Amino acid sequence: MFLLPGFAGVLLFYLLPFFEVVRRSFLKSGNSAFVGMDNYRTVFENGAFSLAVRNTFLYMAVGVPLLMGISLLLSLLLRNLLLRRRLVSAMLLPMAVPAAVMVLTLQILIDRQGVINGVLTHVSEKIAAFPAFAAIDYLNTEWALVVVVCSFLWKNTGYMVILWLAGLAALPKEVEEAAQVDGANRWQSWHYIIRPGLSGSFFTIGMLSVLQIFKSYREVWMVAGSYPQEHIYFLQHLLQNWYLKLEFDRMAALTVILSLVLLVVCLLLQKRMEPER
Amino acid sequence: MGNRRKAPAWAARMRSRWRKQKMAWLAAGICAAAAVLICMPLLMIPGGSLMDGAEMNHILSPILGEGKGFAVWHLIPVYPTMAHFYGLLIESPAFYQLFWNTVGMTAAILAGQLVVGLPSAWAFAAFRFRGRDFLFGLYVVLMLLPFQVMLLPQYIVLQKLHLYNHPAAVILPAIFSTFPVFIMYRGFTQIDAEILEAARLDGAGELQIFIRIGLPLGKMGIQAAMVLSFLEYWNLVEQPMAFLEEQAAWPLSLYLPQIGIGQAGFAFALAVVVLIPALFVFALGQDALEEGIAYIGVKT
Amino acid sequence: MKKKERVLLYIMICAMCAAFWACGGQAEEIPMGRYADREVKLPPGTFEYMHPCPDGGYYLYGLDTELTYVDAQGGNRSKDRSWENNANIHAKYEVGVSDDGASVFAYTPKFWNDEELEALWIAGDISYLYYYVDEKGQIQALEPHGEGYEKGTNLNTFAFSPEGELYAASNNAVYRVNVENGEAESLFATEKQVKSIVFAGDVMLAADDGKAYFYDRAEGKLLDGNDALDAFLSSHSVGGLVMAVSDKDIHVNIMDDFAGAANDDAGEAEGASDREASQEAADANTAGGGGDAHILYMACRTGLYRYIWGGSVIEQIADGQMTALGDTQRSPRSLQVLDNGEFRVMFSGNYMVEMYYDETIPARPAKELTVYSLEENGWIRYAGQLFQKEHPDVLVRYETGMDGDNAVGKDDALKNLNTRLLAGDVPDVIVMDQMDIEQYADKGVLKELDGILQPYLDDGILYRNIVEGMRMTEKEKIYAVPMMVYLPLWLGEEMYLEGEDSLDDIVAGVELARQKHPEGPILYTLYPKDVLLQTMPVCLPAWTKEDGSLDVEKLTAYYQAVRKMWETDSAGFDDAGREAWQKNNMEWYEPEDMDMADIGFNFQYAAQQNFGETWLQLGFLMTPQVGMTGIHVNKANMAADWQEKELEDVVTYGAYTGQADNVYWARTIVGLCEQGKEPELAEAYMNLLFSDPMMRKWWLDKPRNHSGLTIRKDSLNDILDINNIEFSQTMGFKDPTGINRPNFWPTEEEKQWLYQMMEDASCCYRPGTMLEECAMEVGARVLAGELTPEEGAREVERKMAIAMEE
Repeated sequence: MFLLPGFAGVLLFYLLPFFEVVRRSFLKSGNSAFVGMDNYRTVFENGAFSLAVRNTFLYMAVGVPLLMGISLLLSLLLRNLLLRRRLVSAMLLPMAVPAAVMVLTLQILIDRQGVINGVLTHVSEKIAAFPAFAAIDYLNTEWALVVVVCSFLWKNTGYMVILWLAGLAALPKEVEEAAQVDGANRWQSWHYIIRPGLSGSFFTIGMLSVLQIFKSYREVWMVAGSYPQEHIYFLQHLLQNWYLKLEFDRMAALTVILSLVLLVVCLLLQKRMEPER
Repeated sequence: MGNRRKAPAWAARMRSRWRKQKMAWLAAGICAAAAVLICMPLLMIPGGSLMDGAEMNHILSPILGEGKGFAVWHLIPVYPTMAHFYGLLIESPAFYQLFWNTVGMTAAILAGQLVVGLPSAWAFAAFRFRGRDFLFGLYVVLMLLPFQVMLLPQYIVLQKLHLYNHPAAVILPAIFSTFPVFIMYRGFTQIDAEILEAARLDGAGELQIFIRIGLPLGKMGIQAAMVLSFLEYWNLVEQPMAFLEEQAAWPLSLYLPQIGIGQAGFAFALAVVVLIPALFVFALGQDALEEGIAYIGVKT
Repeated sequence: MKKKERVLLYIMICAMCAAFWACGGQAEEIPMGRYADREVKLPPGTFEYMHPCPDGGYYLYGLDTELTYVDAQGGNRSKDRSWENNANIHAKYEVGVSDDGASVFAYTPKFWNDEELEALWIAGDISYLYYYVDEKGQIQALEPHGEGYEKGTNLNTFAFSPEGELYAASNNAVYRVNVENGEAESLFATEKQVKSIVFAGDVMLAADDGKAYFYDRAEGKLLDGNDALDAFLSSHSVGGLVMAVSDKDIHVNIMDDFAGAANDDAGEAEGASDREASQEAADANTAGGGGDAHILYMACRTGLYRYIWGGSVIEQIADGQMTALGDTQRSPRSLQVLDNGEFRVMFSGNYMVEMYYDETIPARPAKELTVYSLEENGWIRYAGQLFQKEHPDVLVRYETGMDGDNAVGKDDALKNLNTRLLAGDVPDVIVMDQMDIEQYADKGVLKELDGILQPYLDDGILYRNIVEGMRMTEKEKIYAVPMMVYLPLWLGEEMYLEGEDSLDDIVAGVELARQKHPEGPILYTLYPKDVLLQTMPVCLPAWTKEDGSLDVEKLTAYYQAVRKMWETDSAGFDDAGREAWQKNNMEWYEPEDMDMADIGFNFQYAAQQNFGETWLQLGFLMTPQVGMTGIHVNKANMAADWQEKELEDVVTYGAYTGQADNVYWARTIVGLCEQGKEPELAEAYMNLLFSDPMMRKWWLDKPRNHSGLTIRKDSLNDILDINNIEFSQTMGFKDPTGINRPNFWPTEEEKQWLYQMMEDASCCYRPGTMLEECAMEVGARVLAGELTPEEGAREVERKMAIAMEE
């Protein structure tokens, strides 16, 4: 009953379109001839695909745990503070900046002749103990992924802190206080009380981190273009470029593969993380 | 020995309070440092918005292609000017239209998400039905799918519904987005199942349980969902770009020209104007939401 | 519960499917009759505005031209302008004209020179001065003063009432000004700058971009506003909106109603009742006011509208898209309502049309031809208008993917286009500039054009070599044709490029020039990127091997050459010197805005401004007129300088070659869609594009455009043969002394040289390919010294490899 109105909309605006994608993944784009699994085969045999998968996976493997860890730590520290709300708002600000401006800021900072390199050079000149610093071309070397991860963390930490705080707030305070009175130390109360209580949040926030990883694509694209340095060529670059080349059939196939993988992962995690009710 | 073991209770309390306070200060310090670190790049924005074009060109000349050495940035411009704000707020009447478009669109989406998403989230959290896990998984996957792939099929649907090029083309799919459901769901699952059971035993109707128990207790989740949705839709770029042809209906996020560093000042000024309402929402929105929920809870 | 849910679900799905397949309304019969327009031939001069007179005649005026009266029959006479000699005018800004030919204008006086003026503009405290010239040509200074008028407030809009009273508007108020003594009386405050003022009996209507003010001149009070009109103004003022009042109602087909933010169904019903209401209001008006039914007519980009005084509905009586009003290159400046139900609309840029009601053509075109291009293309827009004139039953819908002043970039625009193509919502004609033609041909989007082209090639009407340059290697078919081309052209001292048939020769030329001129710039290149912009078009076509892969050796050689050029060029200054050189040229050069299409333009400026400072300029010949003459004009311009430097006879120009031979730069590349809805119309449209009127008249209309050299042989010859003196006049060329400067035209020899170049051009360069973008970006790093040429070429190869694999 509660679900129906929402589900109708989801059906119309998301599920039906998704079925269309599935349908098109078996057709050839252009003349709509049925080609069976051909599109899937093309995707798997594609060199760019394996590169993109590798990079995207690496990005997630680095970005998601880092983001979750940092934001959890911050929210644990934050949760009893009076200034909490103001600090969280400050951390959220990067999300509210228009993407175009954020990209501009990044460019000014990380260009080869940008501000960061300038500061580093200056510092290394001033302090003799530091080795001479050679300007790094962040976007065109292996550093590219580091830059992407850093800006991802920068932008999304506040976002995740909000979610952790929501999770923490729901934990019954009394239990923890009682434990503290009983002499449990911080580690213990974390291990026995907070962590189990947050396991659902782990799932939510993990998934949202993945979502934010996908969403960060537009900024990466705006900074580095359709064909960026090899380490930051992600699945969405591939999707986007295919779209520009009118290869919707391959795109659809890749989407179906991606959603299957995500669905399986999601169901598995859900089983593990969800507290049984 | 005995004395020490039986140290006066007040001393222990003092010590522990001191330790607590010290920890609190430390925590506050770390968090403040993190907040400052996060906001640091943003400090460039107000300065940039007031910066004269020539000055900007000068300090950024290394990035612009020529010029040796490194770019620097003046947090406080040497030759401050209001020219960008003037250009934005006074010389371009389109700005206001787009601004109100953004406000209207965001408000409609958030309201719609509350109406549609809340019950859905509640359904997932409070009931167990066949296929629930799978359906929920599906919701998550739909949330994760990149917009690029949904662009074409959504376009087809919207066109069939004669919604293309109508603000509803952006608003409706956003209302039914599974994203707020997912977040609010989390808030609801943290309500003790026993409470619900008890309420049911007392003969409360499902609707009543939802409103009297679900809403007040899941408010952190609702709050989080609204704040995050707001951020998402306040700067929405891709959907309006794809589904709205009529420029008069565009949100502000599409107003920024393809900016090169050359016109950075204008972009920074716009960012300031965009950020201010966001700050208001952070400051006021959370309280308002909290009170609203409390109010609904009491009323029914 | 479960069952109920399931039933509900089914119902919902059914409802949704119904909504899904709900079709639009069935085709209805289209009534006949709508407004069409014809151009009015204007007397010589460059006019911007028109003041309608009650007798059906009108005054034409511009900021720098005589006030000219044209009577209802079309005879004209100019007003004497000798008074101007007594006036101390540096520049005029706004002019207002009365029915009897008196005028008032705002100006800045001569004692401010340009720099001072600019400074004052920037500071925002420039104050106009005003002159009043009565109908006999007597000039007198007008100094507005009085209560409510703050001295120094600028008046930007002037209007004379039928009685000859002067009304003027500043950015926040409307005044009545006594022309004799300058007494100004503030009538009412406004929110924004009032742009137009019209009179209907005692009532004056002043309108800004969002509000209409009705002012009763007899009673001296502001009347109630009108919400519908306000809403209309705020949504229709983009690109200019002009008004006129008439007592005459016209019985025509109403195209559309404007009822604020109407949603379709409700809007229509409301519109109908509104119309009745407004008719009633009009009747009441007639009854009460003694036959005084005023009707306000308004013209803007979206069309011609009428509003019955006192009503609440604004009706569209002509659709902008089907008339000259829709031209985005021009904006309407004045409107006149004629007694026979026709309208005159004066546009910016010396252009006027008469709109007449044609009952023989259908009110709404039955068919639609959709033309798509990524960027606005004036020529294509012009073709649409011409096509509509020839086919009154067709509406040409011209859509552009991006228009520059918003966040939609090329990739976003392409994405939107592809969405449409994949969804089956296909345009009929696509302008393929900056798009990947092979890709679209491969996917079956484009139709092969060999059939359409055959007659043109067989009869030698088009340059065969240029058309053939577009043949796709794999499919051996032609899918798109450039309508115009640019040709590579250098300007310099003869010796530098004597053996110019390879990139190395250009490098050698630069070095030779450097030996002769050890200091200062050689090439017109401010930034490293410019070297790439100027050389890539003639090299890029050579980088792709037969099998489609990248020729790394050639690319390496290219990077080596450009690097050499840049280094040689830079050897003439130190850092400060280059910075100063950049600064001096900043005015017309914004590095961020530059793209390949601007090279030609850049060259234009370079040729005119910098020769003698730079010594070897690489660029493109963009139009037969300006391109060729630009060089000559430049010679005349610079004559004094050059004589001093003894350069007059040394400077010459010629074609150049890079790594690829006989390159032409394809412009306005048009293709037809395989699945377009109107294939026959699309073909007719294509034929129109090839026709002489399109290929020739365009240049005659807009001689200064930079769209390229036409690929139709006889049209190109005609353009070059036209008696050019007339041109220089219509172009309004003026040098500071006020004498029309003679425009030099190509000699017979130059013409032959140009024809030969056109005949030889066979290698097509198309900007906007992925290889180009990639080579450009990496090239900038090579020139900055971050990469060696070899590394650069390898980097490009790596990126291209990813792209190929996709």
